[in-house]
Amino acid sequence: MLQMKNLSKVYRTHMIETHALRGFDMHVKQGEFVTVTGPSGSGKTTFLNIAGLLEEFNDGEFLLDGVDVKGLNDNARSRLRNEKLGFIFQGFNLIPDLNLFDNVDVPLRYRGFSKAERRERIEQALAQVGLASRMRHYPAELSGGQQQRVAIARALAGSPKLLLADEPTGNLDTQMARGVMDLLEVINASGTTILMVTHDPELAVRAQRNVHIIDGQVSDLVRKMPSLRVTDGDQIAVA
Amino acid sequence: MFQYYFNLGVRNLRRNPVLTTLMALTLAIGVAASISTLTILHMMSGDPIPEKSDRLFVPLVDAGPLDRYTPGQEPNDDQITYTDAVNFLQSGQGVHRTALFGVDGSVETQRADLGVIAAIGVATTADFFPMFNVPFLHGAAWSNADDQNGGNVVVLSRPMGEKLFGKDDPVGKRIRFLGADFQVVGELDTWEPVPRFAHLMNAGGGAFGQIDDIYMPFRTAIRMQERNDGKTSCESRNDPGYDGFLASECTWLQFWFETKSASDRSQLQSYLDAYSHEQLKLNRMPRQNTNRLFNVNEWMSRLHVVSNDNRVSTVLAFAFLLLCLVNTIGLLLAKFSVRAGEVGVRRALGASRAEIFKQFLTESAVVGLVGGVLGLLLSLGALYLIGKQSTRFEVLAHMDWQMLGLTFVLALLASILAGLLPTWRACQVLPALQLKSQ
Repeated sequence: MLQMKNLSKVYRTHMIETHALRGFDMHVKQGEFVTVTGPSGSGKTTFLNIAGLLEEFNDGEFLLDGVDVKGLNDNARSRLRNEKLGFIFQGFNLIPDLNLFDNVDVPLRYRGFSKAERRERIEQALAQVGLASRMRHYPAELSGGQQQRVAIARALAGSPKLLLADEPTGNLDTQMARGVMDLLEVINASGTTILMVTHDPELAVRAQRNVHIIDGQVSDLVRKMPSLRVTDGDQIAVA
Repeated sequence: MFQYYFNLGVRNLRRNPVLTTLMALTLAIGVAASISTLTILHMMSGDPIPEKSDRLFVPLVDAGPLDRYTPGQEPNDDQITYTDAVNFLQSGQGVHRTALFGVDGSVETQRADLGVIAAIGVATTADFFPMFNVPFLHGAAWSNADDQNGGNVVVLSRPMGEKLFGKDDPVGKRIRFLGADFQVVGELDTWEPVPRFAHLMNAGGGAFGQIDDIYMPFRTAIRMQERNDGKTSCESRNDPGYDGFLASECTWLQFWFETKSASDRSQLQSYLDAYSHEQLKLNRMPRQNTNRLFNVNEWMSRLHVVSNDNRVSTVLAFAFLLLCLVNTIGLLLAKFSVRAGEVGVRRALGASRAEIFKQFLTESAVVGLVGGVLGLLLSLGALYLIGKQSTRFEVLAHMDWQMLGLTFVLALLASILAGLLPTWRACQVLPALQLKSQ
C-alpha cells in the first residue's frame, strides 16, 4: 500500500539545514494497522505529511498504492489524496461553519460524486460513527470525542485505502480515546489500512505493528504485536 | 462545483458580518460614484438616432469675406446664411432637407384661465419630422403647400399640447402665436431626444435644455420677419431692413440633409464643392474654404456636447473606484487570512490549488454581487439627487438597462479584481503547517 525507500526530507533556511528524514524506509501492506511513535522532533509528522502528499520530499522513492508520486503536479497529488487517503487530525479540523453533513460532504465534492451518491455515503459514514441523528448539528454543539468521530466519518466517506491519523486521541480523555481507538480497529478490520502517529504507548500496542522513529530514521525498535494479521513481507528496513 | 462555491460564498457572507458589510459598502460606494458619472457621460454621448445617424448631415460652407482671413484657416462658423439655406432646400439633394432656426414668443388660446404662455419654437420645413423620426400623437406635419405658401399652421409638442388642450386632440384648434393666428395640424407624441441633436444650437439651454414647444413652417416665420432666437454672426455690413438681413452673409440658420445611405456622403460632398464654386461666379464665397459635412455624432463632437469637465469627472470617479478596490483588497486579505485552517483542511481532503482559487474567487464575486445591489441603489439615489440640481441634469440622470447591467458587471469585475491577491495568498497556504497548528 505504501512503500518508501531511502527517502529524505530537508528543511532549508538561509542559516541552517534540518534533516527531518534521512534514508527513511517504510513498507506498509494493504490492511495493516501500523502505529508510529517517537520523541518530539523525530520526524513522525514529516513522515505522515509526506505519506499524505501534503509535503514533497527531496530524495528517494515513494509509491502510494503502486503510484510513483515523485514529480506529480498539484492536481494529480490532490486527486490521489482525495481518492486514496483519509485524514484524521489531533485537532479534528472540522469546518466550524458547516454542519456535520456538509463537513463530511467536503471530500466527496472534490471527487465529483452525484448528489444521491454523496448523500448515501454521508449518511452511511455518519451512521458508522453513531452520529446519523445529528447530521444537521454544528461541530461546536458536539463533544471532543463526537467531533473526532465526525472527522473519522469524513475520512471514511470517500472509502479511502489508507487512513492517516495524527495523534487522533491527543485531545481526548481516556474514555473517549478508547472509543475512538475501538472505532479505528473496526475500520481496520473491514480492510482499511491505517497509519497512526501517537505518543500514547497504550494505544501503540493495540496496533498490529509499531514503528519507532528517531532522528528522522526508523529505529530498530520495532514491535510485532500478538494480534498481527499480516504475516509476511512486513520487514522494516532500517537505514 | 460553481454552485457549491457560490452557496459557500453566500453562507460565508455571515462570517465576519462587519468585514463583509464594510467590503460590500466600499465596493458599492466606488461603483455608485463611477456609474453615476458614467451614466451622465453615457447619456450625453449616446447616439440619439442610431438608426440613421450616419445618414443625417449638417453642411457647413464658408461665406465669410476675405478680410481678416488667412488661407487654410479653419472655419469656425457652425451656421449658414439664408441664401445658402434656401439654395440647399431647393437643391433636391438627399431624400430630405430642412433648414431651421429658433423662434421665441408667447402663446394664447381661447381659454381665459390659461392666460399667456411663453414658448420656444422652431421654424423649419415639413421634412423635419420624417427625417428625425419624430412621432405624432395626433394629426401630422403640415403640407408641402404650407411649406411653399407659408401657411399659418403649427405642430405642438406633447407637453405644450396638453398644457393648452389637455388630453383632447388639438388638431384643427386655433392658437395665437407671435401675434398671429395659427391652426394646429399636429401634436407630437413624447419626443425628448438626448441630446436634442436636431436643434443643438438654441436659446433653450443647449444640448440638454428645454425641448421645443412649437414647430412652424420656415417660410411662415420668414414672412413674419422672425429672427433667430439664438446666435447670429455677421462678419460684413448688410443692407438695412429684414430683406437686407436675408440677403446678407450673416449666418443664423442650421441645416440638415438626409441621404438614402451613408455612402451617399461623397455625392453630397461633391454637390457642396460644386455649389461653392458656382457661388464664386456670383461673387460669393471668396474664401473657397473647405466645405464640410458632419453626421450626427460628428456634429455633436464638433459642438462639444460632452465637455472635458464631464470626462474628467468620470476619470476621477473611476480613480475613486480604484481607491475603493485597494481598500477591498485589504479587507478581503483580512477576511481570507483567518481561513487558512479551512484551506489546509480542504487541501488535505483533496482540493487542488485551482479549486481553492475558484472557491475564494467565487466568494469575492458574491461580495461583489452584494456590492452591486447596494451600488445600484446608491447610484439611483445619486442620480436622483443629480437630477434635482438642474433641468440640464434632469434629462441626463436616467439609468438605462445598459448602465444597469454595467453596474453589476463593474461590481463583479471590481470584486474579482480585488479578490485576486487575497485568493492567491489563500492558495499559498501550506496545508501541513495549518493542520498541525489547528
